[in-house]
Amino acid sequence: MNIGFIGLGLMGRPLALHLAKAGHTLHLWARRAASLDPFKDVGAQAHASPAEVAKHADIVFTMVADAPDVREVTLGADGIAAGSRKGLIVVDMSTINPNAAREIGAALEAKGIEFVDAPVSGGEVGAINSTLTIMVGGKPEVFAKVKPLFEKMGKSITLIGGIGAGQVAKACNQILTGVGVMAVAEAFNFAAKNDVDVAKVREALLGGFAYSRILENHGQRMLDRNFKPGFKAWMHQKDLRIVMEEAHRLGLMLPAAAATAQLFNAIVGSGMGEEDSIAALKLLEKLSTPDQ
Amino acid sequence: MKIGFIGLGGMGRPMVEHLRAAGHELAVWSRRPVSADFLPPEVPRAAAPVELARQCEIVCTNVTGSADVAGLAAQLIDGLAPDSIHVDFSTIAPSVARAIAARYAERGMHFVDAPVSGGTAGARAKTLAIMWGGREELSARLDPLFACLGKSAVRVGAAGAGQVAKASNQLVMVAAIQAAAEAARLAAASGVDFAKVRQALLGGSAASRVLDLFGGKMQARDFAAGVEARLHHKDFVTTLAEATAQNIPLPVASTVLQQLDVLMAAGWGMDDTSRLLCVLERAGCNDFNERNTT
Repeated sequence: MNIGFIGLGLMGRPLALHLAKAGHTLHLWARRAASLDPFKDVGAQAHASPAEVAKHADIVFTMVADAPDVREVTLGADGIAAGSRKGLIVVDMSTINPNAAREIGAALEAKGIEFVDAPVSGGEVGAINSTLTIMVGGKPEVFAKVKPLFEKMGKSITLIGGIGAGQVAKACNQILTGVGVMAVAEAFNFAAKNDVDVAKVREALLGGFAYSRILENHGQRMLDRNFKPGFKAWMHQKDLRIVMEEAHRLGLMLPAAAATAQLFNAIVGSGMGEEDSIAALKLLEKLSTPDQ
Repeated sequence: MKIGFIGLGGMGRPMVEHLRAAGHELAVWSRRPVSADFLPPEVPRAAAPVELARQCEIVCTNVTGSADVAGLAAQLIDGLAPDSIHVDFSTIAPSVARAIAARYAERGMHFVDAPVSGGTAGARAKTLAIMWGGREELSARLDPLFACLGKSAVRVGAAGAGQVAKASNQLVMVAAIQAAAEAARLAAASGVDFAKVRQALLGGSAASRVLDLFGGKMQARDFAAGVEARLHHKDFVTTLAEATAQNIPLPVASTVLQQLDVLMAAGWGMDDTSRLLCVLERAGCNDFNERNTT
């Protein structure tokens, strides 16, 4: 199959390579030519614009930073829509505002282009190992066509509902992980400031109702003081911004997410945006310690 | 010197009347012609914003949000003469005000953000507090104008600085309304008369204009707007987005916005912000006597 892929960053690159390894022909466009280097040996074809990519592909994947970027590469000048053929499917794997996904989906459908939103959870490691969780919104018949390709990228693939539903699921994921990381950081800071062995607390809690994968994995990395990403704090800040935009639009009470979003502002503002989200622990430690 | 005015709503209308009463020559543009019916026929009505800009040395706007102001600025810029001034009284994002000012500066004209505090009552009584951002040398041309509209006009800094001051004004004021609502809620839940609590507090260190005015409306359960709560909601959404962009935590503001979100969802956006009391009443035990007799 001829597959377009736009957005060859940390996440997009390994995913596109999985598709090439599965025997598909890749059609690529990248803002920076250097992003195309890893694809020299897999017979990929480089193009001058997203529109050119769309002319050659049956399905185009996008994996970019935020809603304005998705709009630009799909609906902008020389965007995918400008080069589309009837029946083209656009699969956006970026994490963006659900309402923006619905708007982009509707604009593409008006031009005869199918759209599914398919944000992922699992980070760079999950992308490299094809173990991502993929949350999909779109028509069932379109999902059925894309599903064999998703299976090269992830192990848990769920059609949640119509367009935008994948992004809603991802936002829920980010509420749980954002608040969860903050809760583990609070518990660890609480234990440490009480002069209690944090490792023992974690070990005890893993056997009870407070067990969670975040307590297990993120908790271990907090103990190791290994703040290498993983999932960068500024990305969690962005995802919680999306959550709160929707809370303000729909009139939703999300007090824990709201407080957590403010703490992520503080993490990023304190210069820890490029570290893993578990830098939350360092923020709480700093705020709980007398000024030097 | 001819002054143009766009935005003839609850705030704009009394401001226009004050400018006329002070003897300024005026022209207006309004989306719906009927909005200008309160003005005598000799006041010129421009056919479009750009037409208004062509005939005025200063154009004032007083509309709702960032998108409205940016849309008008994009039209006015093609009609304004060099060195003329667009004074915007609306409350918008500081970043949008800075962006408009930069575009104007490239073409040799000026943008001044001059948001006000004091509501429609302040506009009518000429008691507005005006906080403005823009080039300092514009003071000489703007001060006589501002003197017709309010009791204080402070130049806070460069373009956008007025909006930063207004955002700060909203943070302090609406957080205080929330605190007053929480005090009223605690009093009622404890079986204590909030009117007495408020009276006592107004004599002490917690005394504030908000406790006086908004606390008074809560006490009387009079939720008719003053300033419609939806406008405070809009301001808080803008400010929290700005805080995220600047990477700073505003924990109280974020909590207050959540209460405003619930207020909007309840359908009280057109009511007064003292409705924050009703948001609190939607959760928890409401009747002290019932709780303590059963």
